Amino acid sequence: MKSIKTEMLPGASMTRRGALKLAGAAGLVTVFPGRKLFANVNQELELAVEPQRITIDGRSSPALAIGGSVPAPVLRWREGDEVLIRVTNRLDEPTSIHWHGLLIEGVMDGAPGFNGYEAIQPGDTYTYLFQLRQSGTYWYHSHSAMQEQLGMYGAIIIDPKDREPVRADRDYVVVLSDHTSEAPVSILGNLKASPEYYNKGRRTLVDFFRDVGRNGFGATVQDRLDWSEMRMDPTDLADVTGYDFLVNGKGPKDNWTGLFEPGERVRLRIINASAMSFFDVAIPGLPMTVVAADGQYVVPTKADEFRFGVGETYDVIVRPTEAKAYTLMAEPLDRSGYARATLAPHEGMVGPIPPQRPRATLAMSDMPASQMGGMDHGSMAGMDGGSMSGMDHSGMAGMGQSSMSDMDHGSMAGMADAAPQAVDTQPVGWEQAGTPPGARQLTYADLKALKPSGDLREPTQEIAVNLTGIMERYVWTLNGRKFGNEEVFRVTEGDRVRLRFINDTMMAHPMHLHGMFMELENGETERKPRKHVIMVPPGQTVTAVLTADEVGEWPFHCHLVYHMASGMMTRFIVEPKGTELSSLAE
Amino acid sequence: MILKTRLMSFASILSLTIAASPSLAAGSNEGGHGDGMDHQMMHPEIGEPGDPATATETIEVVMNDNYFEPESITVPAGATVRFVVKNEGGLLHEFNIGTAAMHAEMQPEMAMMMEHGMLTETGMMRDMANMDHSAMSGMDMDEMMASLEGHPNRVLVEPGETKELTWTFSQDTELEFACNLPGRYDSGMMGNLKIED
Repeated sequence: MKSIKTEMLPGASMTRRGALKLAGAAGLVTVFPGRKLFANVNQELELAVEPQRITIDGRSSPALAIGGSVPAPVLRWREGDEVLIRVTNRLDEPTSIHWHGLLIEGVMDGAPGFNGYEAIQPGDTYTYLFQLRQSGTYWYHSHSAMQEQLGMYGAIIIDPKDREPVRADRDYVVVLSDHTSEAPVSILGNLKASPEYYNKGRRTLVDFFRDVGRNGFGATVQDRLDWSEMRMDPTDLADVTGYDFLVNGKGPKDNWTGLFEPGERVRLRIINASAMSFFDVAIPGLPMTVVAADGQYVVPTKADEFRFGVGETYDVIVRPTEAKAYTLMAEPLDRSGYARATLAPHEGMVGPIPPQRPRATLAMSDMPASQMGGMDHGSMAGMDGGSMSGMDHSGMAGMGQSSMSDMDHGSMAGMADAAPQAVDTQPVGWEQAGTPPGARQLTYADLKALKPSGDLREPTQEIAVNLTGIMERYVWTLNGRKFGNEEVFRVTEGDRVRLRFINDTMMAHPMHLHGMFMELENGETERKPRKHVIMVPPGQTVTAVLTADEVGEWPFHCHLVYHMASGMMTRFIVEPKGTELSSLAE
Repeated sequence: MILKTRLMSFASILSLTIAASPSLAAGSNEGGHGDGMDHQMMHPEIGEPGDPATATETIEVVMNDNYFEPESITVPAGATVRFVVKNEGGLLHEFNIGTAAMHAEMQPEMAMMMEHGMLTETGMMRDMANMDHSAMSGMDMDEMMASLEGHPNRVLVEPGETKELTWTFSQDTELEFACNLPGRYDSGMMGNLKIED
């Protein structure tokens, strides 16, 4: 009944006449006047977007598929290739495909309402055409109506035109996602009607923090809290729960498996293609060598685990030497489940599932200064209940991950009478990942670009990007303004610009800029890592610099899909040199 | 606590080096080969430092970020080979001849040297003033430096530099040449060194 609409023709090339005919039909000639269209196309494919049912751990669920599968087919290209992709919309609503992380002309970037690109209407076909100016691991996804939540995402691998600076015997894509059978529109509706829809207890927390403002933290905890009654799920860690967490479209029981021979180098291209989930990722027993972040090579750095936000990618190399099964675990911050995969010498082998990591509770340090007084944002701190009674509050600040040894979450309920040391095992602070003793968690400070930057100029302008929101109404904003009434950021081609992200909320936000890489200011000078998504923890300020060398009107938004959909997006406009208002006025 | 343990092992590596190096311990350092005696004494199968004048073969090795060219090398058994190692990359690199196990042992030591500032991603710290001295109680800086440079089976080559290493191979052993700076070996900066009878 259903035919596969995808057709990949590696190396296919078109005749120039055919190409021009097609270009005319697609109306592209006006987009690139004076160009030799399609003459050099060496990758061509067709992708249909259509509803599809998928099966996760034996359960059937509705989904939206690009190219006939969830995740969508891996697109493997080579740097320098010119690629032509015809995307046909077989849904009954508009759709779009955005090529996340690619340096690309604005109209091909695929974000409706930006750069002259419009959503693909039902039944229509849009022809993308672009030349690949970079190599690395990227991904593609819908930029419409929260459709990526339902399965519209897939990996892109661009092999470098020169030698790979890393070497691996195996190369696997690991696409992490969070799937739900619930329609995204109704999820957003539920969140707007009641932000605590997916999480009881928020209102009590608002009260709690109001009291903190009045009475101070320790007094409030001692005097007021009845934790066992509160059933506190830390809603600041995740807005939506009830997800299935997937690896390459497979649930934990399906157990996606990557094969290796002992001693081989295995490259894993790990992509956070979820709608709403930050993940802590580890392969117990197998240290990772991180070789790329957001598709850009970094000086290899060793880590046992990393945390990443929606849209980020890490390429890691592992070298299993034993002929046994290793479990790749990706746990969302609220620990409401996990994505799991296996690396093993044979299909069917299963490694142990490590105990669930403890869920962190927010510390006062996660609170933006602006909220310490008034608390009008319904700040959503979660204090995890069980372990709080009898706690020595004076020790709060000093609790670190060093002491969070092998904590068993299941035993929390009975911890009221636990020894004082047990209190120390409760990680406090958003950053705390429950890293096992002796294990090393990757931090942004570890990332150093493999090649030094070509532009070491000090920025001549700084843009303040306040990450803001009103939780009670589930309105998320930038500089206090919703998309549609946004504060546009405007720079001139060639400008060196600093972005100062000031997180004024108690959630982390993975901030994504289309069209250009941001150089994260992490202490490096020449080797600042180039990122397309920067994770800004609650209450923190993070800065990045960039050279505005891509003219266009670029989406700039939080990549949590419901945050973006509720307003956390703006336009980052790079005007061509000589056309800026000041020069026109002269 | 973990850091402490690792520091201890660093200290023990150093003392092992010193103990196994009579010439260094005695305060005289002739020829410059003695300070790496531990490796030879423990691993005679990898061969020994050779005299460039008697080298029968010269092999040029180019280092880049992060790989070697060529990716594998074959030498005749018993040959004395002069390696001319050129760093065309922007990072510090090592050319180290040993067994896979020796490289695995070397990597934590290199990681520690980097942690303590003796090495950086791009070079060697010759000015010891910037080092973290707190970790090195009772250790002489010269001894530290000797450990850093005192392995005759390897050269550390900074960006733009060319260094030489002459090696006499003995029997048929499974050898590798490798860069043991953190993360390099695992990401593929190594190659097989095959000895042909």
